[in-house]
Amino acid sequence: MNFLIIFVGKLFSSFIRLLNLGNGSTWPGHIALILNPNFIEETLSKSKVKKVVIIGTNGKTTTSKLIRTIFKANKSKSVYNMSGANLLNGIASSIIISSKFDGELKKDFALFEIDENAFPLVSEKIKPDFVIALNLFRDQLDRYGEIDQISSNWKRVIDKLDDTVLILNSDDPQIAFLGKERKKNVCYFGLEEKTLEKNVLQHGADSILCPKCSSNLNFSSYYFSHLGHWKCPNCKFTRPKPDLSKLSYYPLKGTYALYDILAAVLFAQVAGIKKSVIESALKEFKPAFGRQETLNYMGKEVQIFLSKNPISFNESLSTVKSLGGKNIVIVLNDKIPDGLDVSWIWDIDFENILTKDINIIVTGERMYDMAVRLKYAGFFAHVSSDMKLSIDKMIENLSDNEKLYILPNYSAMLEVRQLLTGKKIL
Amino acid sequence: MSKQLTIGWLYPKLMNIYGDRGNLLVLQKRCQWRDIVVKVELLDLGFEHLRLKNCNLILMGGAQDREQEAVVEDLFKAKDVLNQLIEHNVPGLYVCGAYQLLGNYYQEANGQKIKGLGIFDLYTKNPGKDEKRLIGNACFKPDLFDYTLLGFENHGGRTYLEKNVKPFGKVIKGFGNNAKDNLEGAVYKNSFGTYLHGPLLSKNPLFADYLIEKALEIKYKAKITLQKLDDTLEENERIEIAKHLQIEI
Repeated sequence: MNFLIIFVGKLFSSFIRLLNLGNGSTWPGHIALILNPNFIEETLSKSKVKKVVIIGTNGKTTTSKLIRTIFKANKSKSVYNMSGANLLNGIASSIIISSKFDGELKKDFALFEIDENAFPLVSEKIKPDFVIALNLFRDQLDRYGEIDQISSNWKRVIDKLDDTVLILNSDDPQIAFLGKERKKNVCYFGLEEKTLEKNVLQHGADSILCPKCSSNLNFSSYYFSHLGHWKCPNCKFTRPKPDLSKLSYYPLKGTYALYDILAAVLFAQVAGIKKSVIESALKEFKPAFGRQETLNYMGKEVQIFLSKNPISFNESLSTVKSLGGKNIVIVLNDKIPDGLDVSWIWDIDFENILTKDINIIVTGERMYDMAVRLKYAGFFAHVSSDMKLSIDKMIENLSDNEKLYILPNYSAMLEVRQLLTGKKIL
Repeated sequence: MSKQLTIGWLYPKLMNIYGDRGNLLVLQKRCQWRDIVVKVELLDLGFEHLRLKNCNLILMGGAQDREQEAVVEDLFKAKDVLNQLIEHNVPGLYVCGAYQLLGNYYQEANGQKIKGLGIFDLYTKNPGKDEKRLIGNACFKPDLFDYTLLGFENHGGRTYLEKNVKPFGKVIKGFGNNAKDNLEGAVYKNSFGTYLHGPLLSKNPLFADYLIEKALEIKYKAKITLQKLDDTLEENERIEIAKHLQIEI
């Protein structure tokens, strides 16, 4: 049965790619799971592959790309799911594409980034050897629900996975809570960078109550949102001391990316990969698509910063500002993968991050919502329903050494990338 | 001399989950653009009650259950002050969780009742995990003025009005209070409760003006007519949302 599924699936996915209809990263798996609901566990249990799962609101794809780069430098063979294909069907598809016809995966690692709500089901099926948990922020509340619900679902599942090694963010209280009461198989990454510390809570921080007893947490410092050095004054639950907090080289800009890099490196160390190999991999690293990815378009450099929720938007804006960016295109859609509710744009801190000399065009399905948001933040933005025209206009007006920065949410990022490269990615 | 307003935002740290501060930003700007001086009181856990007493307009948003539980006890301590303001016609906007908290009680799925402030004569029931949350773009026609209100709703609780409170309006698209009686929100004096969450005033600027006007009228005991603003962008936003909802506004 699985032989047939894999044979047809491989054929099907090459077809899709051949015809430039996408990369065939979900459909073969979708069909496989209809034909055999146990396809994933059957194929994985046949192989000796180590299974690594990445969860978190922001940074999954970047962390996965970092780890893959380290695997490559270490000459470890790996299978992974495509970003955005992070439900069961995406995992099944990646297995189909990478396995031999008898279903065996001749790989050292299987690396999966998993959707917040899919994690409980997925971990039951694949029994991960490692779980890397990055952060939990408000994101698409209409689709994912409230973050307390997500974290309690995660905790329930993780408490059953005694043999799984957890790699957790010590600075996010809800994530650190996942490792509480665990005697072994847990390690933490976090920041101890005095120069990046802030002493005020940013607007829109989520987890400011103790995950254990719901008292107000005390923070001695913040890095961004609710990530920082915290302690509960009531039950004394305290930020665990991180096992890794500093590296000599970071291949990406922005505080938020530091966490992804620390997570990837800590995992690699725990998985027994040599420090020298990790270091050389970081030097080779190229960003994942749409995540600080730079493309050439009409002779100019365009850098895309996926900005899909208040925290990722704030961090994108801060990073663009630190790079001296003066020209930005914001693309806001409300398709299903983006969440239908765009209320979150009012939690973006335009007021405190941007300066008046910024030149902004907004486009996308909810461009007027964004333009109104900017108006009330005191910024004028050009509005255009034509994305190509918006980008082309901006490019034409750039001076020689200037770059264009594009901040799209999820489906908008796919559209932007298709426009700039002429290729579909999903 | 220019007029002044004090806007009180109840629990900005804990009750702000859906971009609720958008409402504050819209009120602030629309006052400033008319040379009305705005003072904002951020009333977090343990706030001094005198600060609330001096407010001319009240805002309170939604939260997750845990945050909401943390707020209830504190809000009960301020109940008399808040009640007095509301009885004296001080306008207020109570969204989602705040709307529920101002009711008589909230009944959990297991039947347990959590006492509300009892300012709005209504109650809310959590129908349990098997019933869907009510989520989506929504709009309704208020009974008080001829201006369709647009927004987004996302709530599990079903709210039912009792006799001492009026509905805010009739549902055109979406679910409203309980997905059954076609009513949305509640009005008592100048206080409004609604499930249109987050930054609803950004999508309904004339309702923002209505609240500002009422606040000034109560404070200055005089009829106030606000100067008109250029709302072209906001109007375009409304037209886009109406297209999405396939309605005429």
